[in-house]
Parts: sequence; C-alpha cells; structure tokens
Amino acid sequence: MPLLSISKLSADMEEQPGFPEFVQQQAGKLLEQTLQHIGLTFISLLIAVIIGVPLGILITRRKKLAGIVLGIAGVLQTIPSIALLGFMIPLLGIGAKPAIVALFLYALLPIIRNTYTGILQVDPTVIDAATGMGMSKKQLLYQVQLPLAMPVLLAGIRTATVINVGVATLAAYIAAGGLGEFIFGGIALNNSNMILAGAIPSALLAILFDWGIARLQKVRMQKVKTALYLLPFLLVILSSFYLLPAAYGTSLVAGFTPEFMGRKDGSLGLKQVYGLDMRTVVISDMIMYKAAYEKTLDVISGSTTDGRVKAFDLQALEDDKHIFPPYYAAPIARQETLDKYPELEPVLNKLSGIINDSIMTELNYRVDYQKQDPAAVASDFLKAKGLLQTARHGTKGTIVIGAKMFGDGYVLANIYKLLVNGYTDLEAVTKTGLGGTKIAFEALTNGQIDLYPEYSGTGLLVILQTNKAVVDTLISDKQKVYDYVSREFMQRYRIKWLPPVGFNNTYALMMRRQQAADLHITTITDLKEYLLHH
Amino acid sequence: MIKLEHVNKSFHNSKLAVRDVSFEVNTGETLILLGTSGSGKTTTLRMINRLIAPDSGEIHVNGEQVNAQQIESLRRNIGYVLQDNGLFPHYTVAENIGIVPTLLKWDKKRIEERTRSLMEKLHLSAADHYHAYPQQLSGGQQQRVGLARALAADPPVLLMDEPFGALDPVTRASVRKEFRTLDEISNKTVIIVTHDVQEAFELGDRICLMDDGAIQQLGTPAELLFQPANDFVSSFFHEQRFLLELNALRLADIRPWLDMSVPAESNGPVLHGDDSCWDALEQLTTLSAPVTISFEDALIRLDTSELMHAFTQYKQTVSGHGRTTGLS
Repeated sequence: MPLLSISKLSADMEEQPGFPEFVQQQAGKLLEQTLQHIGLTFISLLIAVIIGVPLGILITRRKKLAGIVLGIAGVLQTIPSIALLGFMIPLLGIGAKPAIVALFLYALLPIIRNTYTGILQVDPTVIDAATGMGMSKKQLLYQVQLPLAMPVLLAGIRTATVINVGVATLAAYIAAGGLGEFIFGGIALNNSNMILAGAIPSALLAILFDWGIARLQKVRMQKVKTALYLLPFLLVILSSFYLLPAAYGTSLVAGFTPEFMGRKDGSLGLKQVYGLDMRTVVISDMIMYKAAYEKTLDVISGSTTDGRVKAFDLQALEDDKHIFPPYYAAPIARQETLDKYPELEPVLNKLSGIINDSIMTELNYRVDYQKQDPAAVASDFLKAKGLLQTARHGTKGTIVIGAKMFGDGYVLANIYKLLVNGYTDLEAVTKTGLGGTKIAFEALTNGQIDLYPEYSGTGLLVILQTNKAVVDTLISDKQKVYDYVSREFMQRYRIKWLPPVGFNNTYALMMRRQQAADLHITTITDLKEYLLHH
Repeated sequence: MIKLEHVNKSFHNSKLAVRDVSFEVNTGETLILLGTSGSGKTTTLRMINRLIAPDSGEIHVNGEQVNAQQIESLRRNIGYVLQDNGLFPHYTVAENIGIVPTLLKWDKKRIEERTRSLMEKLHLSAADHYHAYPQQLSGGQQQRVGLARALAADPPVLLMDEPFGALDPVTRASVRKEFRTLDEISNKTVIIVTHDVQEAFELGDRICLMDDGAIQQLGTPAELLFQPANDFVSSFFHEQRFLLELNALRLADIRPWLDMSVPAESNGPVLHGDDSCWDALEQLTTLSAPVTISFEDALIRLDTSELMHAFTQYKQTVSGHGRTTGLS
C-alpha cells in the first residue's frame, strides 16, 4: 500500500509544467538569452563585414592573393565549431571574446567569397564602359561594382548570419550566454521544455534574419544604395543587444554547468535555501575547472571526485545547509540484458564497494589532468586489485557500456569493459562521451547501450523528476535514495540498479584554495555573507 | 583631332597586336577602323582613351599627347560607345545618360535639359523611357541610350567599338541611318571600329583597313575599291565588290563618261550628283524607265545601259592609272 501511494505520487509529479507556463516563468531569462544571442550573432557579423568586404575587394584586385585568402577562410570554416571554441580558450579565456572571435571566423568565408564573386560577376562591359567614361577606381567601386555585387554580397551575409545564429548556441559552453544555455541545460536535465525554450527562438531567429536579408536582396536596384548605408547601421544596433544584459554584476563571478543551473540540488537550491545571488555564467564542465584556476571564474559547481579538483588546487565550500545530497555511483543495466546473459551481473558486481572517494579522485586525476589513456588507467587499477584477467575474446554476444561525457564515467566504463572481457565470453565495447543525463538514459532505454554508471541522486531528481515532498523524506539518507530509485527504475523502465561502486559523488561549490583563505570563506553561507557586503 | 604616330603594342610578349600604326583624323571627319577579328583595330581604338597602354609610339588627342593628360579627364572628354552598350543596369536611362556630366559636376538642371534634348534627337521618348531601366528597352533603344551617353557631355572626340554589332540587320540599318544624320557628330572627330564592310562604306569618310596589326590601306571608300594597295585589300572586298563599287561611286564621279547631250524629260524622279550609282540603278530597275539627273549646271536623262557604260569606263580609267593611295 505505501509502495503504491509513492509510485502514484511520483507518476503525478512526472508531468512537467506545460511549455507556455515554462516560457512564462522564464520570460526574463529567455529575453536576456535571446538578446545575448542576437548580440553575439551580429557583433561577430559586423566585424566580419568590416574585415571581410574590404578583403574581398582587395583580392579582386590582387588575384594572386585570392587563392591564399579564400583557402585560409575555407580551412577556418571546416574546423568543427566546438573545437574552434576550444582553441580560443587558451588565447582569449572564456566569455564573450572567444565566442565572438570564433563566430567572426565562421562568418568570414561566406562574406569574403561572396564579395569576391559578386564583384567578379559584374558584366565586364559595364566596367569597361565606366572606366572608359572616366570613372576613378573609387567611383567605379562605389557607383558600379559594389551596387551590382550587392545581391551576391548580401547572400553571403545572409549565409553568415544563419551560420552564426546556429553556432552561437555553442557559446553557452564557454560562458558567453545565448540561447544555448537553455538548450544544453535542457539536454542535461532531461527537460524538454527547456530545450524547446532555447531551440525554438534560435530557429525563429535564423528564419527571421534569413527572411529579412532575403527581402533586402530583392529591393530594387536603385534602392541598393540606401541599403548599403542602412546595413551597417542595423548591424551596430543589433550588436549592441549583447551589452544590455551585462549591466549588473557582483565582485565574484560564478560559472555553473548547464545541468547545475536547472537542478533543485544546484543553482535553484542555492537561491532558495541560501539566498545566494551572484553573477553567474553558464559554462561547459570541460573548461570550468581550468577557468577557476586561471581566475576567470571564482566559484564553480564542481564534482567532488573530479581529478581536476586536486590538479588545480580547488577547495570545496562546506554545504552547511545540506542542499547537495550525497550520491551513490552504481552501474544501471537493462534487465533484459541481465536476463539474457546471467553471467554478466556477478562480473559487474566484482567492483562493488571497491572504489572509494580518494581512489576515484586519483583515477580521475590521472585521466583528466595527466592525460593518461582511460583504458590504461583502468587496466592498472584492476591489476593492482588483482582483478585483471586477459581478455577471452568471447563471441557469445556484445555488451555496450555507455558513459556520460565527464570524469568518473570514462574510467568506470573502461573498468567494466575489462571485467566483462576477462571474465565472460561476451565482447564489451564502450560508448563514452554521451552528452548528458538525458542522452545517456535514453540510449539505455532504447537499447543502444546496455549499461552505464549513474548516480542515485541524478536518478531521483533528474530522471524520475521526483516531487519535493517525496525528496524531502528521502534525501538525508543515501540508502533510502538508492532503494527508492532501484524500485522505481525497475517498475517504470525495467532497468536495474546494481550495488554501488563505493564512492560518493556530490556537487560542491568550489573556489581557489588561496582565494577562499584570503576571503575567509569556508562555507556557502560565508560566501553569501561576503557577497552581501562587497 | 586624333593623331597616332608609329604606335606598337604586344600582349604577353607574343607577336605584335598593333604594328607601327600611324594616322590622323581631323575634326568633323569619321574614320573607320575596318578588319577581321584579331586585326588590331579594337586595340588601336582602346589605346586612344588609354584603356590600353601602347608599348611605343605617340598618341595625340586635340593636339596634346594622351599620356600627358590626367587619365580621368582625358576619358571624360572622349565619348565611348561599346558593342554591348555597357549601360549600368542599376541606373535609369536618364541616370545612364547623365554619368559623364555628373562626373564633370554639371548642375542637375543642366544635366536634365541635356538628357531630354539628346533623347529627343535619338528618338527616345522621354515620357516613356526617362525613368526606365536599360533592361526594359529593346536592343535598338539600348544602343541609342549608349550613344546618347557618349554624346552627353558634348565631347570633341567619339570612339565607337562595334557600335551596331549587337543589333539585328533591320534595327542596325535604322540606327546607323539616324547616326549618320545626327547633327551632334558633324563637328566631332569620330573613329568607328567595325568588321562590317557595308557599315564602313556607309559611315566612313575614310577607311583604315587593318590586318595582322598593321594598316593595309587608308583612304576613301572609292580609293580602297578602285586603287587597292595590295592583294589583301582587293580580296577583302571581293565578295561584295560590285555592290560596294556602285555604292562608293557618286553620279558626279562618273559624269565625265555620261552623255551630257541627252535632254531630261520633265516627269519621273530626279537624282543628284551626290547620289550613288547604286541609288540610280535601284531607281532604274524599279521603274524600268530612264531617270533624271540634276547636276548643278545641267539636267540630263539616264538609262541603265548608259549608267553601266559610264561605270565601266570609270573603272578602267582609274585602275588604268595604277595609282595607289597609301598612307596619306
């Protein structure tokens, strides 16, 4: 009977608020992100026009340069956007600057190329006539070449705009804001409303700008001159949007992952329970620790077992009001797979209780910071524990082991792979780098992976979306949380929680050890007090 | 006035595109540069307004060497007409015609007056076409706009590169006729490049026949026909010779061989000494009756056999002299 009531309750709570309500609740944030998005798109576009158009004109006059310039711009275009952002970080840090530079580089090729082809496709007879009538080079450019190249040039700007609206979503990974914050937050939190709140406006922006510039292209020839002067003006106005939201700030800057931003045991809890209100940027987990180390960020949402905590000498602030529940890490597997291969479960359980917090941190440190191969780290670990057996190269079947895109997952997935290969006739393959809880869990329920390591708290809050009343009764006891999720997962998804691996992973606010000491901050309450007075 | 002295030009170190070309065109005169493709005629023309720089030799326009003149102001004083008209597609007809006056900073009112007057002279309705765009006009109209544009600032010199080449034969004939009768060109120095022999004979005061970059012969149409300087010149006109000859000869030219004693009849059409033998033959064959020719001092009657007799006599006499007209 109590069992029934709990599952009924949670089933009720599983319904998320509708999309219109979500948008209404988040209207302020949505507007801010949209303005940032437009601003990012157009600042970079403006710079690309200022540099790309003259460059395009130059290479029509110095044909030898054309190949080189278009070649370089073309190569820039082929660099994957997330990688380009990655390259920018060591040079420019995080935030708006690297995002704008990356977007600018993407916008450059279509603008240079279309300026170049636009001018070259002007009827040579017209050029000949203009020159023969005594136009100077400058008059020729402004009165003949640019107006006649304008439709093609605008097509280039149009392409660049649409590319930029799309790529600008990735700016959320490096703390430059924009609609990517909602998109990546939503993916991490399994929150469709949040994804849509980011994706729909960014798609609409792309369509709107595409349509607007297409209209501009069709403006009659004689009005092209007006368009020529109007365009930079519009670009400047739209660019300035980016500056609007950045008006307020606190002395310390926080950088939280998209997932942390939307979690009850994350940013929301910090606001509600601690009343913590500080300038916050959204940033990818991959660069967050380094940004804290490099003093771009002061407070981050770290994970206690992450190797980089050790590497960058960060200090976790004490959670004196207990909003971050401890999480058990445990493999979760499809019951279907476990039934099909009964030998699998005992093998996976060999790891249970073996890896404690410090061992996990050490393993992560070797992978994240010393850049050792996760497979080698896993193999060393098993050897040390006397658990390593040579692979049997079995052919009985294939087990796909997944892992989320950070820390613990890589190492654990590799350890399980070695265990499965060594102790069974099954062939294990890993699929690491799944981009968040939502993606990993859906891969599991769809049968694309058979198992992956998950945290009990994430299961409770993110996947089951358990309501507050139930959470409050469970959260203080990690065993209760584990039991609850085990039961619910089996019932709802036929997915089994195997015994925990041993270590706890929990969120923590982290600061540089030196700064925390200087400011006398050891708890989150201290941080709040400090912010109130500075 | 245009003067070329020993002008040479080669492209990319290959053989000479223009070889030792010299000629002089006087004010009010129209010179035709005639030749096949690659004969160097267009290159010669484009060196005059410095669209191409010669390797050696001197070019003078209005008594001053072109290289000594500021390039833009030189070009603004030379009307330039191109085969494919080169009208600005983003400018209206009026804006196109006003380009050079605008470059010369004429005031707006003056430009408009000039534009309207030129459109009228060239039979372009200002009411219909003043604000039209070139692509809305027919080929013939576009070419007229191109001509108006070249004449807009009333330049003393007019250079025309295959000006009627892109038009169909009927339109070409009518635009050509208009051009010939245009008072605007009567006091200008005009050079026209063409490969069309008929056009050359119709428009040219003198013809400069070029081949392989060099001048083969320069002279009046009659001189080129009846006193060819070499085999190239005589074979160039071979196919249309008879027609050209009839066209090139005026009735006044064959007067010495006409029977001046036959009195004219009072009725029938009257031709003049300035009309060509072709015109006379045309009238004779259409009417199948003699025509009247009115010379300044005499009025005679002419029939077909009389005309052909005098024409043959003229040819024999002139070529019998063996006199050639080289570079005059």
